[in-house]
Amino acid sequence: MPAEHDDRIDDEVLQRVVAELRRPVRLDPTVDQRALEEIGSEAAGWPASRHGHRWGAWLAGGAIAAGLLLALLPGSGPREPATAVAPAAPAPTAGGRPIYLRLEAPTSSRVAVVGDFNDWDPAATPLRPAGDDGTWVVELRLKPGRYHYTFLIDGRRWERDPSEPPAAESDFGAPVSVLTVS
Amino acid sequence: MSDSDAALVARTLGGDLGAYAGLMARYRDKFGGYAFHMLGNREDAQEAMQDSFVRAYRGLGACRQPDRFGAWLFRILVNRCRTVRRRLQRDRRFDADLPDDIAAGGSRPDSFEWRDEIGQALGRLRPHYREAFLLRYVEGLEYSEMSEMTGAKEPALRMRVKRASDQLRELLRDVHAG
Repeated sequence: MPAEHDDRIDDEVLQRVVAELRRPVRLDPTVDQRALEEIGSEAAGWPASRHGHRWGAWLAGGAIAAGLLLALLPGSGPREPATAVAPAAPAPTAGGRPIYLRLEAPTSSRVAVVGDFNDWDPAATPLRPAGDDGTWVVELRLKPGRYHYTFLIDGRRWERDPSEPPAAESDFGAPVSVLTVS
Repeated sequence: MSDSDAALVARTLGGDLGAYAGLMARYRDKFGGYAFHMLGNREDAQEAMQDSFVRAYRGLGACRQPDRFGAWLFRILVNRCRTVRRRLQRDRRFDADLPDDIAAGGSRPDSFEWRDEIGQALGRLRPHYREAFLLRYVEGLEYSEMSEMTGAKEPALRMRVKRASDQLRELLRDVHAG
């Protein structure tokens, strides 16, 4: 769309610069091929039943009463889970401190967490029911650092963790939280 | 008539990788210039573009307006360019950025062509200045769109564009006159 006119370039040097910069730059078409190979290798590794989850639907609608809580496991830091629940099996993330994610989503049929720690793969880190009250849990092992992440509910809706600060910028334009592991 | 972005996104979400290939072909060169000018070389631009395609595919369910897939992908690319740029800076593969107050004389080789000169001048701008200049004048975004995309306030973006313009004008004036 056209730029506003309040700072229109009326300088000949900059006009030439912009004209030059607007000339098409051709990238190697194998960029697409390499991306497809990376995507295809991930898709090939998914269980068939999860394929539909990944592509099943849009983000939209469906209010969900989700109280989200992130806490370090007992003994690993100052934050504790609000209630005692059986932790899920540790997610396949490399080493690091145990981080305990909990989500209260009684009307959801499945919940996953996606983030920098699992390459935003919806199939990599599912939460599991911790009881009959609609609580979902998962344990991660994270090395010190900052991680962007969010919850994926029923394979289609992203829900940021309100117990952690929101990310200032998100690649996906969707709600994302920032977890700092020290 | 070619399929719309929304149609290709819907087919991709249905498991059709060929549809996603169509989207990539549509936007590879369209956005390639931004990545190239932000990062200063084709190899890194292609890495950023490839990574953006993969991340967009993974997060396609978060694309709330599939008819505006291009704008959504571009936002991802802008962020990926920032990430790659920071890595390059750590690896010292980028020239030192210019200070706010520059003196252009003496630092400009005379043998380069105009296009090379522009690339070199762009590479000497601070990344935020370069980003703002490209988004504003080359991509033609409104300041409100730039603000939403970058997280920076509009007055700051206007300042960055002005700084970038002043510095580019200063760096390239002699070349242009010659």
